[in-house]
Amino acid sequence: MANTVIGSSIVIDGEISGDEDLVIQGTVKGKISLKESLFVEGSGVVEADIETQNVEIAGRVTGNIVASDKVELKTDCRVVGDIKAPRILIADGASFKGNVDMDMKER
Amino acid sequence: MATGETGIIGKGIVIKGSLTGGGDLVIEGRVEGQIALKNHLTIEGTGKVQADIRAEELTINGEASGNIDASTRVAINASAKVAGDIKAPRVVIEDGAVFNGSIEMDVQLPDDI
Amino acid sequence: MATAKELSGSNNVNNTVVGPSILISGRLTGDEDLTVRGRVEGELTLSRTLIVEPSGVVKANVAVRNAIVSGVVVGNINATESVELTREGRMVGDIRAPRVIIVDGASFRGRVDMGDVEPGRLPAERPTVARPTAVARPALPARPTAPARPPAPPPRPAAPAAAPRPAAAPPPPARPAAKPMPPPPPPTRVEARPAPAPAEQPAAAEPPTPSVMGAGAKKKVVVKKKAR
Repeated sequence: MANTVIGSSIVIDGEISGDEDLVIQGTVKGKISLKESLFVEGSGVVEADIETQNVEIAGRVTGNIVASDKVELKTDCRVVGDIKAPRILIADGASFKGNVDMDMKER
Repeated sequence: MATGETGIIGKGIVIKGSLTGGGDLVIEGRVEGQIALKNHLTIEGTGKVQADIRAEELTINGEASGNIDASTRVAINASAKVAGDIKAPRVVIEDGAVFNGSIEMDVQLPDDI
Repeated sequence: MATAKELSGSNNVNNTVVGPSILISGRLTGDEDLTVRGRVEGELTLSRTLIVEPSGVVKANVAVRNAIVSGVVVGNINATESVELTREGRMVGDIRAPRVIIVDGASFRGRVDMGDVEPGRLPAERPTVARPTAVARPALPARPTAPARPPAPPPRPAAPAAAPRPAAAPPPPARPAAKPMPPPPPPTRVEARPAPAPAEQPAAAEPPTPSVMGAGAKKKVVVKKKAR
């Protein structure tokens, strides 16, 4: 189980940072910077710039994403923003609007 | 602490003025004024104290109003009603107690706060 | 009404956890229990229970139903039901809650007010205008103080410490507190207060900015040290 879970009724307006996995079922506005993985679940709404190692998105994200390893857009997700990561997976059914940059010179 | 004798201010007694002493004291009656005690003061459920209190240790089951300065511990038990400012290294408030005022203990906070 | 003992057994399905390495700064609102093992700074409004575990640090003004503090809280807490400082709890700030429990071993510095609390109301939310210095301590007439007592303890009028106080009026008639009715507060203060928010509404109408609140909390601590 991931250590940190932001439940579905929770709204955070501000910054989240940390060194562990983060699961978002609620709403986060502002900025997220993590050294591990971010999971935006189906109920999750993120309006934030994201900086992390891995991201898995099943919910909605508006903002730019920079991942040092991988970004995965799952079925039914809605993402608006630019994505920069060495590996990017977009599943069938995902909706995405923005630029993709996979040319990571350094990690 | 073992000064042996324990004084009791019984239910029917009303004291107005200042009260000082070395032994333990149990108040079942009323005291108005000031209390300075070297040892343990207990205010029983029937006790009503309107005084600034200085004691080593204080246990309150009844009513107290005034400032409290204890050198070791203040216990505000479930039946107590207390109003005033408390200064003591240890303060305990039981569930059910009514307290209004401030408490000052030593709080060790992390450095980065 | 939940205390640490009552809650420890029940595992809440809908539970938000802030892990030990996580820092959240800003405004957090919600309708579920929140367990803090990391750090939350800013402003925290919950219609349920806040649990600050021993590794947790909350540097925020807090409005909740219940709070159980085993870690560190710097800031004021308004709770509509209860606040409990457990054996490991450390707190600097003011508490307003009908039930306040401080267990032996806990350390605390600040005011305690066991008056009723409006749900969702953040401690520092009261408008400063409504608190003229002259009535900054409405607590005073409310106390059957000993005659020997100095007219007023060193006042902290500018600090938000005084903030939770004004809401003590009007006192709930149901409460059998040892507090006699204070003289009626200045009418401006009563009228300035909006109607109580419904319990399930997490965010209050005009929340102040987090930065203001953080500064206020810091200020209060400093003033307090000086005062003694």
